[in-house]
Amino acid sequence: MTSARPSDAELLAAIAERDLRAMRELYDRHAPWLTVRLSRRCADQDVVADAVQDAFLAVWQKPGSFRGQGAVGAWLWGIAIRRLVSRLRGRREVLLGLSESSEQVLGAEDQVLLSVAYGDVGQALTRLSPQARSVVQAVILDGLTTREAARLLGMPQASVKTRLARAKVQLRAVLVEGTR
Amino acid sequence: MSDTVALHAVGRRYGRTWAVRDVEVELSDGVIGLLGPNGAGKTSLLRVLATSLAPTTGRVSIFGWDAEVAEQRTEIRRRLGYLPQELGFPRGFTAFAFVDYVAVLKEWTDRTARHAEVRRVLDLVDLGAISTKRIRALSGGQRRRLALAQALLGQPRLLVLDEPTTGVDPEQRAGLRAVLAEAARTSVIVLSTHQTEDVAALCERVIVLDTGMVRYDGTVHDLVAAASGRVWVGDDPDPRAIASWRIGSGRYRNIADRAPSGAEAVEPTLEDAYLLLRAEAAHPERITT
Amino acid sequence: MSSWHVEDRDLRRWLAHNTALATSVSIEQHLVSCDGCIDRVGALARQDSALDAEMEHGWERVRDAVELHRPSWLERGLTTVGLPAHEAQLVAAARAFRGPLLVAVLVVLVFAELAGQFGQARGEFFFLLVAPLLPSAAVAFGYDPDLEPALEQELCTPYSPARLVVLRTIAVLTLAIPVAVLLGLVLPGPISFLWLLPAAGFVAADLALSTWISPLRGVAVITGVWSVTVWVTAYHSSTDAALHGAYPSVYLVLVVVSLAVFARRAGHVRGAYPGRSSR
Repeated sequence: MTSARPSDAELLAAIAERDLRAMRELYDRHAPWLTVRLSRRCADQDVVADAVQDAFLAVWQKPGSFRGQGAVGAWLWGIAIRRLVSRLRGRREVLLGLSESSEQVLGAEDQVLLSVAYGDVGQALTRLSPQARSVVQAVILDGLTTREAARLLGMPQASVKTRLARAKVQLRAVLVEGTR
Repeated sequence: MSDTVALHAVGRRYGRTWAVRDVEVELSDGVIGLLGPNGAGKTSLLRVLATSLAPTTGRVSIFGWDAEVAEQRTEIRRRLGYLPQELGFPRGFTAFAFVDYVAVLKEWTDRTARHAEVRRVLDLVDLGAISTKRIRALSGGQRRRLALAQALLGQPRLLVLDEPTTGVDPEQRAGLRAVLAEAARTSVIVLSTHQTEDVAALCERVIVLDTGMVRYDGTVHDLVAAASGRVWVGDDPDPRAIASWRIGSGRYRNIADRAPSGAEAVEPTLEDAYLLLRAEAAHPERITT
Repeated sequence: MSSWHVEDRDLRRWLAHNTALATSVSIEQHLVSCDGCIDRVGALARQDSALDAEMEHGWERVRDAVELHRPSWLERGLTTVGLPAHEAQLVAAARAFRGPLLVAVLVVLVFAELAGQFGQARGEFFFLLVAPLLPSAAVAFGYDPDLEPALEQELCTPYSPARLVVLRTIAVLTLAIPVAVLLGLVLPGPISFLWLLPAAGFVAADLALSTWISPLRGVAVITGVWSVTVWVTAYHSSTDAALHGAYPSVYLVLVVVSLAVFARRAGHVRGAYPGRSSR
């Protein structure tokens, strides 16, 4: 490992050589944001912690399964969210109702920030209905399949598909409107 | 309980040969180097010290306990760390699992404390990052460092190390010397080596063994001083010198009582002193004072 | 999205679950591929003592899962019957040292069994002669200190040498016995399990003898006595006479007496202090 900040890919290569220090480095780097992001999908902290642990164990066992496709962070997120889904198994009571955060009113400051800094997607989301938001986040933003999203959200797969279709229509309308 | 490690008239015979004979040694602190050629009896002496071998004659007294008595031997072994010459590892074990297994043998029954100690010694020998590797995947130098790690478990009062730096690359050797120097603050360390540089770097005291008998037991400083004024560097080898060899610059280093022609005197190293000692033992008639 | 980054203030709010959905979503989409912001999240997380403790605890769990070995079925079985976990570990280590040797002994056992199966009276005699000796031979070959010096790192520890010998014996037997039993079942008649009695007697006897002489010499002695016994009884009555009548109780007595002797003389077990007898 180079003495400057080693890249994620370099860490994975070292992990393939069974380097525990590289593993620690990868963990220290990614576990915090993965934990927080997962916590916003699931209220049960223990399940979140287990999912993060599962994800890193999976990385240790098969570091070679990252084939350079995009960012390592995205790949890690994919593993972690799937581990969370498999641990949840439709336990509705621990699912975080996205209605909580979606009800939060954006202050004027936030609105300005959003439009200037963060781009269209975030703002477009706020114009969607709450049901559409959760489905869009699960499938489009978190990268789950409709089946996995169904498990995460505790609804039938068919419902996910219909809501997703409707959400896409809504999104298109909102984004088109924004470019006028 | 006393602080000393003592061998009184210790001898060890195999069949009709004496591997060590009449060894009388008393150690109390610091790092003691054991030098000698192959077959000098270093390993046998260390094994006797480590209670892995009973002496044929004499007494072994470690911190006041007699190695002959079973219960006292157990007390000795509680305060002992040993790095043997021949390493034996269980098949299929990882580095961590091996040190953990020795830690169990050393009576670390509490899991959490034991694992913390295993990690501590693995980090000391710089194997912490590869603790999950199987031993068969480790190089010879790494295995020796692993064996040193198990000897360091529990910060034993007596560390007996048979060639701890053999096969270890120069980079790692410096690290090991630092570890041993640090350990010397709490332990008596006896180490055997072929490398006089290790002794020079680490030991205040040195014992030179030859054909099973102690030829020298004293400070490194005094041993080196004995060679003072008898080491020369010149352009040609001196055939009448006690020892003579070519050095890196193309010149020749000679150990002799009289200056070879055209040579200048240099400060003796421990290696020079050791060679002189061995030559004196082998050919007393060649030495003129 | 690569020219700007999330500000610390917003990251802090996100870490505290205090951002609106849209903001959170945008932060999360950005983070996934921005090294700089990921590092800053890490730094901010370390400043929060609760989150930091949680991360540290999480790392310890991952590290333990990766570093510590998973107990084998044998270890779990032994702990279930009451052996402390660390001693079960020692048994596993003992087996790991002697793998090929145990296989060799088992191969001999297979041959003996085949002889017994297919060799009729002669074969049965051969089986009776050889099979009961094999478990004690396996233990002795594995751990005779003269044949192969006890591994020095085991020797120079305060762990009781006698206890270690017992654990190693268990280690060998856990492999030999199930296979032996299975093989024995294939043989017709009571010989298929009765032979285990003298086998147990000999293992115990060799343990006891190892407090005087080396385990291998002990097996040699036992082999001599057993050979004579089998031969004489076969000559005077039936082939497997050594397994009937008064003999089974003899073997049981042998087990009990031997174990008592071993317990009494445990301090003298061979290999506890090599080279002592040559004084």
